[in-house]
Amino acid sequence: MAPIIETRDLTKVYASDGVETPALRGVDLAVEAGEFVSIMGPSGCGKSTLLYLVGLLAKPTRGTVRIGGQDTAALGEGGRTRLRRRHIGYVFQRFNLLPTLPAEENVALALRLRGERPGGAPRDMLRAVGLDEKRRRRPGGLSVGEQQRVALARALVTRPTVLLADEPTGNLDSEASDRVMDLVSRLHRQRGQTVVLISHDAHVADRADRLVRMRDGRLLHP
Amino acid sequence: MLPLANILARPVRTTVSMLAVGVGVALFLVLVGLTSMLDEIARRTTRVEAHLMVWPASDQVVVSGGLPAEKVERDLEGIPGVARAIPVLRWPLKMAGRVQNVYGIRPSDWPAFAAEDQMVAGRPLEGGDEMVVDTRLAEAGGYTVGRTVERWGRTYRIVGIAREGVAGRVFMPIDTVGEALRQTSRRASFFYVRASDPRRVEAVRKAIGARGLNVFTMDEFYDVLASSFVDMDKVIGAVVFVAGFVCFLVILLTVYTMVIERTREIGILKGIGASRLQVFGLVLAEAGLIAAGGIVAGFLLTWGARAVILHAQPLWTVAIPPVRHAWAALLAAGGTLLGALHPAARAACQDPVESLREE
Repeated sequence: MAPIIETRDLTKVYASDGVETPALRGVDLAVEAGEFVSIMGPSGCGKSTLLYLVGLLAKPTRGTVRIGGQDTAALGEGGRTRLRRRHIGYVFQRFNLLPTLPAEENVALALRLRGERPGGAPRDMLRAVGLDEKRRRRPGGLSVGEQQRVALARALVTRPTVLLADEPTGNLDSEASDRVMDLVSRLHRQRGQTVVLISHDAHVADRADRLVRMRDGRLLHP
Repeated sequence: MLPLANILARPVRTTVSMLAVGVGVALFLVLVGLTSMLDEIARRTTRVEAHLMVWPASDQVVVSGGLPAEKVERDLEGIPGVARAIPVLRWPLKMAGRVQNVYGIRPSDWPAFAAEDQMVAGRPLEGGDEMVVDTRLAEAGGYTVGRTVERWGRTYRIVGIAREGVAGRVFMPIDTVGEALRQTSRRASFFYVRASDPRRVEAVRKAIGARGLNVFTMDEFYDVLASSFVDMDKVIGAVVFVAGFVCFLVILLTVYTMVIERTREIGILKGIGASRLQVFGLVLAEAGLIAAGGIVAGFLLTWGARAVILHAQPLWTVAIPPVRHAWAALLAAGGTLLGALHPAARAACQDPVESLREE
C-alpha cells in the first residue's frame, strides 16, 4: 500500500528582494497510514516549511508531494484546498483560534468551511478533549493549554487522513504539554490517526513511532 | 456567524463605519427629498381646472400684476374654443414667517381651484377682507377660521382652510388684493384658460399666442418652473456624489484595516480549509453587515433630520417615498461592497504561509 504522505526531492526556495533562501533541499519522506512521525531539528532547519508543503499551504519550488496516493503537483489552488479539507487536519503553534468565536464555533468552523452542518460533532470533539463544559467560552477565557486542545479538536473534527501539528506544545507548560500529547497519543492509538508532528522538545518527540531529524533543509534520518 | 462576531468585536470602529454609511444615506435622501419641494410648488401651481396659463408678453415668467383683467378676459373668452378665462392677481405676502404668493381670485372662480370636499374648515371666499389658507400654512402659522391677520395696513379674516394641494397657500378676493395695492381697476398677473374641448387646446393656444401673450400648457408651465431650479439640482447632485464617495473611502479604509489586522487569522482560516472564495466572501459579508447597519442608521438619521427640518421650516416639503428608500439602500450597499472589493481580494490572495508567520 502506498504511503499516506510521500515527498520526492522536495525543495523550497524563498526569494525576497532578490535574495534566494533555500528552506528545503531535496527532501524524500514517506509516512505510512497510522504512523506517528516526529520531526526534530534546530530553528530554521525547514521543519515548518516541510509541514506547509505537506499540508498544501504552499507549493514546492521543485519535487513532488503525494497525499493519499494523489500527486498534488498539477493541482490548482482550488484542487489543493479541496484536498487539504479532505485529508489534512492542521494544528498551529500559536494563535490557533479565532478570537471572536466561542470554542464550539471555532471547532464547527472546520466543518462549515467544508459546507457541512456541524450538528453535534463539535461538541463531541470538545468532550473528547475534555472541554465540553467550556465550549461557550471564547479563546480569551481559556488557558493556553485549553486553547491548544480546542485547536486539536478543530483539526480532528473533520476526521482527516493526516494530522499535522507544528510545535503544538511550543507555548505550553509541561503539564499542559503532557495533556495535549496524551490526547494526540490516545487518538493515534485508538483511531489509528496518522500524525506528523514538529517539536524541538525531545520529551514530546519521544511519543512518536519514528523520529526524523532535519538540518539545513535536509533530512538526517528519513 | 464569523462576520457578525468580527464586527461586534470592534464596536467603536463598526459604529463609526456604520455612521459614515448612514450619513451618506441620509444626505442622499434628505437633499433629494428637498428637491421635491420645487416639484411640489410646480404641481400646486398647475393643479387647476384649466388647460392653459396665459402671461403678459415678457422674456421670463415673473410675478406681475400688469394685465387689465376684464378686457383680457373678454378677449380670451371671445376666442373660439375658449370656455372660460380665470384672472389671478398674485402678490407676495408674509405669512407664518415666510413670503407666500397670495392668489387674488374671484370668489366665483373658487371651484376651479378646489374640489367641493377640499375645504376642511369654514367656507370659500365670498368677498371683502377675507382669506382662505391651506392646511400647511394654517398649521405652520397657527391660523384658524375666524382669526384675523394684519397686513398692508388692513385687517383680514380667515374664513376657510383648504386641504393642502390647491394652487396657492393663501387666497383672497382679487378686488381686495387690488385695493391693497391701490389699483384703480382690476388687474391680473396671469390667466388660467379652460378650453371647451381638450382637442382644441392647441388651436386655442395658437390663437392666444397670436395676440402677443405668452401661453403655456399646464405641463409646459410645470417644466418651466421645475427647470428654473436646475442649478440647485446640480448642486444637490454634487453634494450627494461627494457624500457617497466619502462613504466609499471610509469603508475601503475600514475593511482594509480589518484585513491587515487579521492577517494571521486569514492564514489560519486557509490552514483549516477555507478557499480563496470563502475568505473573499467572509470579508464581503462583514462589509455587508456594516452596510446593513449603516442603511438602518441612515434611515433613522433621515427621519430625524426630516422632523427637525419640518419643525424649523413647516412649509418646506421633504418628500421621501418608499421607493427612494430602496434606491438609497441599494446605493449604500453597492458603494460599501465596492469599497470592500479590493481588501477582500487582497485577503483572498494572501499567502497562507506568510500570513501564519505574521506576529
